[in-house]
Amino acid sequence: MKHNRLPCQRVAFLIFACMTALLPAIAQSQPADTLAKAPVKHWCFGITGGIDRNYHNVDMVYMTDMRFDNYSPGSVVGLRLAYAPVSWLSINTGAVLIQKNYKMDHVFEYYNLRYGLTTSATNNYINVPLELRFSLGRKVKIHGFGGVFGGYWLSGHRTGTTYSFSNERYYDVDEDWEFNDKRDNRLETGLTWGAGLSGMIIGRIEIGADIRWYYSTSDIQKPYMVNLNPRYNTTVAVQASLSYWL
Amino acid sequence: MRQFKLYCILLASVAFTLASCRKEPLENKGNPNHLTCRTYSQQFETIWAGMDQGYVFWDRDTVDWDQRYEQFKPIFAEFDSRPANRPVTQYEFAEAYWGLFSGLLDHHLTARIYTPKGVPRGGCEVYVQPGMNDYSHPTDTETERNLQLKALRKRAVPGSLVEYNPNRTYGIPGSYFCLIPGAKDGELIAYFRFTNFFMVQMHQMYEYNSAYPDAVSAQAPAKKFYGPRYHEGINMEGAGYANNDSVVGIIFDVRGNGGGSVADLAPIVGSLAQSPTLVGYTRVKEGYGRLDYSAWSESWVGCPSNMHLKEPKPIVVLADVTSVSCAELATMLIKALPNGTFIGERTYGAIGGLYSGNATNIYHDLFYSGCFGDYDYFENGPDPYKEIYSFYIYTSTFHMVDNNHGDVEGVGVQPDIEILYNKKLLDQGTDNQLDRAIRFLRVGH
Repeated sequence: MKHNRLPCQRVAFLIFACMTALLPAIAQSQPADTLAKAPVKHWCFGITGGIDRNYHNVDMVYMTDMRFDNYSPGSVVGLRLAYAPVSWLSINTGAVLIQKNYKMDHVFEYYNLRYGLTTSATNNYINVPLELRFSLGRKVKIHGFGGVFGGYWLSGHRTGTTYSFSNERYYDVDEDWEFNDKRDNRLETGLTWGAGLSGMIIGRIEIGADIRWYYSTSDIQKPYMVNLNPRYNTTVAVQASLSYWL
Repeated sequence: MRQFKLYCILLASVAFTLASCRKEPLENKGNPNHLTCRTYSQQFETIWAGMDQGYVFWDRDTVDWDQRYEQFKPIFAEFDSRPANRPVTQYEFAEAYWGLFSGLLDHHLTARIYTPKGVPRGGCEVYVQPGMNDYSHPTDTETERNLQLKALRKRAVPGSLVEYNPNRTYGIPGSYFCLIPGAKDGELIAYFRFTNFFMVQMHQMYEYNSAYPDAVSAQAPAKKFYGPRYHEGINMEGAGYANNDSVVGIIFDVRGNGGGSVADLAPIVGSLAQSPTLVGYTRVKEGYGRLDYSAWSESWVGCPSNMHLKEPKPIVVLADVTSVSCAELATMLIKALPNGTFIGERTYGAIGGLYSGNATNIYHDLFYSGCFGDYDYFENGPDPYKEIYSFYIYTSTFHMVDNNHGDVEGVGVQPDIEILYNKKLLDQGTDNQLDRAIRFLRVGH
């Protein structure tokens, strides 16, 4: 895949890898009294990054040999903003660039004929979550969160094979997704929830890691026909974050 | 703090509300290509759904298909409610289906529908072909072809005209070859007329089957002009005509050509080029939605490596509104050549690629587009020629545009030089379109 990778994809992977590796070590090595006290009525901002897997939820009705499977992992990178009115609760928001990829395989066999058409789609979204986050613990906090998110489908790309008529052969596809105003619903809304670990390291700097679900409740298609079969994205992301408490 | 709690409650409420917002998948009513229809309503619903999901021109078509459902559902429901002493008449049946399909863009579209199997008193049959409304004159009839042939004889070098017709057994009209004098002494124009594109297919049938003695004997003159491998098309080397230095131009006439097999394109039409030619782009359906399409794929027509026009010479393709399907692809191909010019009138507009001819229409189940029918209707095994479907919808498998991504379906290929069909002149023995092509090759414009 040469196209449409998020520009900060490698940075996101790097942040995620470093922070998940550092978190337990730091938590064990530093005595509790050297850490900053739990923030109360403070603001926090930071960066986040990680990897995801998207599940393209579509029931193909009778087209059962047309299978939508998860595609290669996507990436997440973004900014985090939080406000903690009490030590155990904070409101979190931010903006993440997130990939919601999928793959469609259509293998059809008939006597000695075997056709295999595939499409691998890479879709880039920007998601803005709004979450309530509950924390528990002192050195290393366990947190759980839930909320909603809004999003926008920024761009797409697809590769794979299709069938060419006059050539009567397979044809390799590698093209940007051409949005169709009538078909594509680029606005996205949904629920997000998850859980993770976090801890203060140096002064007011906090690192954390969590697993989260982006459960889209909006169809990626506009209601342009009566018999429309809905399509939804459910994305599971593993993200690490580096934050600073004011 | 109190305000904060309210926000929390509000957020939680929104979350729970949204959680139940996903719509349920559609009810699985089965593949329209494999449903047995026993009532008028069931037949209508199946045909409507098959078109809803498998028709390839929904992004260009202006017909409101959902509105058609609302409009015609009560009509077929009323058919089902009729008492036995008041059966549905042929007129009512035909009017309903002509209304359902009217205005659709696909010019291949042909719906053959019979009274459903479960209706005790039936006998209705309707043959709907909405694109036929675009037919403006009948040059695909034997009479018109003979008039054009008569006019051609007046222009041809005496003794050079040969008819090639291995398909006479099936009543398929023949194809012609002749030489026409050029502008100067010793210069010639090679003229080819193909009234169908079943050459390769028919050859394969005849070559290995002695049950067609007429057809086998008909190969002799064709071999003379097309060479020993004539079935692969215009064998330029074998015939020695088009590649001959004395031939300064070629007329490729596909007027009245109703189409045929795409297998003819490369050996016959592709041999006029020096390399493969990009004719256009095609795409298929890739899902349940009307606008779920695959990516566009380039549609190239190959060029036979050892039997093609060695040097580019001016080529005129003659086509008209009775040039259909493969004939239109041939027109697009020649028009796309730098040395190709299209003279005549716009073609019919049935250019979407179409796979058919298989009893179970496996191509529908591969692409979920194109021809479909209720094959479970068969009582004596699948045989498409027995015509015992309750319905059979013949529609394009591929959406095709030209090599500039221009629409051609329902529009046709537009000529570079428009010369309209002139019945009056033809009756007088003059083919004005042929004469314009000859003049173009003699004068150069």
